[in-house]
Amino acid sequence: MEYIVKTENLSKHFGQEKAVSGLEMKIPKGEIYGFLGPNGAGKTTTIRMLLGLMKPTSGRIEIFQNDLKQERLNILRRVGSLVESPSYYPHLTAKENLEALRKIVGVPKQRIDEVLEIVRLTAAGDKKVKGFSLGMKQRLGIAASLLNNPELLILDEPTNGLDPSGIIEIRNLIKSLPSECGMTVLISSHLLSEIDQMATTVGIVTKGKMIFQDSIEAMRMFAQQSVLLKVSESDKAWRTLLGRGMKAGLDNGIISLPEQSDENVAETVRGLVADGFSVYRVEEERRSLEDIFLQMTREEQAG
Amino acid sequence: MLTILKSEWFKLRKSNIIGILLVGPLIGLGAGIGADIAEAAGMMNEWYMLLIYMNLPYAVLFLPLVTGVLASLVCRYEHQAGGWKQLLALPVTRGKVFAAKYVLILLLVLFIQLFYLAAIVGAGLYKGVADPFPAAIIWKSILGGWVAAFPLVAMQLWMSVWFKSFAAPFAVNVVFTLPSILAMNSEKVGPYYPWAQPFAMMYPATENGDIFFIPWEQLMTVIGGFFLLFYLGGYFYFQRKAV
Amino acid sequence: MMGKLLSAEFMKIKRKGIWFLTVLGPIGVVAMQMVNYGVRKDYLFGQNDDRWGYYLDNIHSFTPLAIVLGIVILTSFMSSIENETNAWKQLMALPVSKMSVYLSKFTVLSLLLLISSVLLLLFTLAFGISLDLGGEIPYDGLLKYSFYPFFAALPVLALQLWAAAVSVNQGVPITLGIVGVILTYAGYALPDWLIWKWPLLLNEWEEPIINVLLGAGTGLFLYAAGMIDFVRRDVK
Repeated sequence: MEYIVKTENLSKHFGQEKAVSGLEMKIPKGEIYGFLGPNGAGKTTTIRMLLGLMKPTSGRIEIFQNDLKQERLNILRRVGSLVESPSYYPHLTAKENLEALRKIVGVPKQRIDEVLEIVRLTAAGDKKVKGFSLGMKQRLGIAASLLNNPELLILDEPTNGLDPSGIIEIRNLIKSLPSECGMTVLISSHLLSEIDQMATTVGIVTKGKMIFQDSIEAMRMFAQQSVLLKVSESDKAWRTLLGRGMKAGLDNGIISLPEQSDENVAETVRGLVADGFSVYRVEEERRSLEDIFLQMTREEQAG
Repeated sequence: MLTILKSEWFKLRKSNIIGILLVGPLIGLGAGIGADIAEAAGMMNEWYMLLIYMNLPYAVLFLPLVTGVLASLVCRYEHQAGGWKQLLALPVTRGKVFAAKYVLILLLVLFIQLFYLAAIVGAGLYKGVADPFPAAIIWKSILGGWVAAFPLVAMQLWMSVWFKSFAAPFAVNVVFTLPSILAMNSEKVGPYYPWAQPFAMMYPATENGDIFFIPWEQLMTVIGGFFLLFYLGGYFYFQRKAV
Repeated sequence: MMGKLLSAEFMKIKRKGIWFLTVLGPIGVVAMQMVNYGVRKDYLFGQNDDRWGYYLDNIHSFTPLAIVLGIVILTSFMSSIENETNAWKQLMALPVSKMSVYLSKFTVLSLLLLISSVLLLLFTLAFGISLDLGGEIPYDGLLKYSFYPFFAALPVLALQLWAAAVSVNQGVPITLGIVGVILTYAGYALPDWLIWKWPLLLNEWEEPIINVLLGAGTGLFLYAAGMIDFVRRDVK
């Protein structure tokens, strides 16, 4: 597989504090990689290292199959980024802000209007950024990151400060980038729902360590459902099921059946009814990704 | 008011403030140790001679300029990431916030003056000055210099509330402070130029019967007048400032 | 890359009052003498038969202070433009080397100070002519007093840029600048090795060119030290 970003044993220590330790990040080409973790987990530190803003304490970073340490400038030419809160020059207008960056990345002037159009800031282009709302500043930051038509776009908490309609717009924009522009996107967030709606690959980080990295589908697999049965004489019914060699749990008088196909559930219910138990309720229990995320991060903390 | 003052001090503690307070007195100490006061022997109290040498760099440039740094420092956290909003959303009036910041800077300037007094004594002991220490230095020169800073602090607080950067209020400060080098040599302009007052008030003059080294009328009109002007200017600006 | 960075830097200093200060500095220095000569022209004319030379000396009594303070203000401004919303991280995530970012800041500052020097020359000349000082205009001295202080002040520029670029709290470089300007002010009585004394163009050999050469050399050295430190640090 072709990885756009690949880190090996990446670590960053601030004195005693290990902000990032032994991180192995792999981002395949054309993916939207959701970089997920609680606040202070090391997401921003990792991103800063990916951009060469911070030097790793140890480990290696490869972007576009080139070593970041040696090829930093050539790599950054093909990367767009927005790190933490948006940076801007308040005394300049939105267009002038982009122009100051454009001069450095060297793309045609019309690109400024294009990116302003993309983030819907065209009308505010000639206003000083000083007076912008947080959401507008965030859009301007995203516009700046798109300026050089990057092959890799790195966005740290991109929907921060946006209103709901803005979030949906930016989300749709990000989702369209891989197919329309061939970009690979890295977005970080502490909100799983956010990542769930955009990402195709997920990396979960907590306390500076990567605890999960796989496709979003693989992550959803964790959200396996189980079927809950409320029956009369639940204790007896549970034993009967176990006696038939079925996997079943009992919790507070509710029987739970993990990973059951429709046929199996039907079969089980039929059997219970035949044995004279009354089946009051058959429900599906769906663990939300949030639960899984919390469970994963909690397990990591406990362990 | 006292609670605001305490919280202001709390915010300031971690901004290298002690170092900044000590810089001026150390410059004075250096000037004092390097001074050649032997020529004064027998003619005037050597402590006064020492003071004249030390005041030159300290009162002409350092004291007026440092008021700007202190004013910018006490507004620094508010200018970062919407701090004004946070502070003014608390149950405090703007007037009190402004007054608390002003009083805090005055206290800091007073500390600097006291450190400077220690520097005078230190330099004198180092030089082995034998004359009796004139107590007038303490309440005339040290307190006088402090009082002379009142309008300057007000002006700088105004500028610091206005501008986010340290550089802009400092530029204003420089523009007004540099001409005092000329003004203090002029009998016509010197007494009326606010930025020349610290030097005038700290400069040991012959006994004139006044409380300070400058005439009482000058103190009331020039220092008092400009203090009112600058303080009210800053106060009303701050009242209307959009945060 | 430098060309692009420079044009971006010049864009960023718009509307910040930086150009205004660049012009104000030399105006201020000459304006002091306008006041001085305006108040006591006859007295000053009587002080020295070489009226042009004496006039230039008077001008030069403020130039070193103005240039040192100007450096403190401009370096802090340059740094605060990036500090205000921490635009350093945005700038440094572009395909530019940290060295060239630092060099571009230094270059812009040097150009601004050079412009100030040119203006100082023009204003000094204009007011000098209007004073009707008589005798030959000493273009030699005029050039020396306008440009030598700039070169002699390069170490101060390098040091202040270093302090301003790495300090989150701009109170630190400004306080350093205040100490510096006091050393310049008291420079007559201080040893020759203090870099803040150099813009006074005084030394024990009475050869101002020594200050220029020392300034350029030491300035380069301090510039390199500041740049290496800046590059070594993580971006804020």
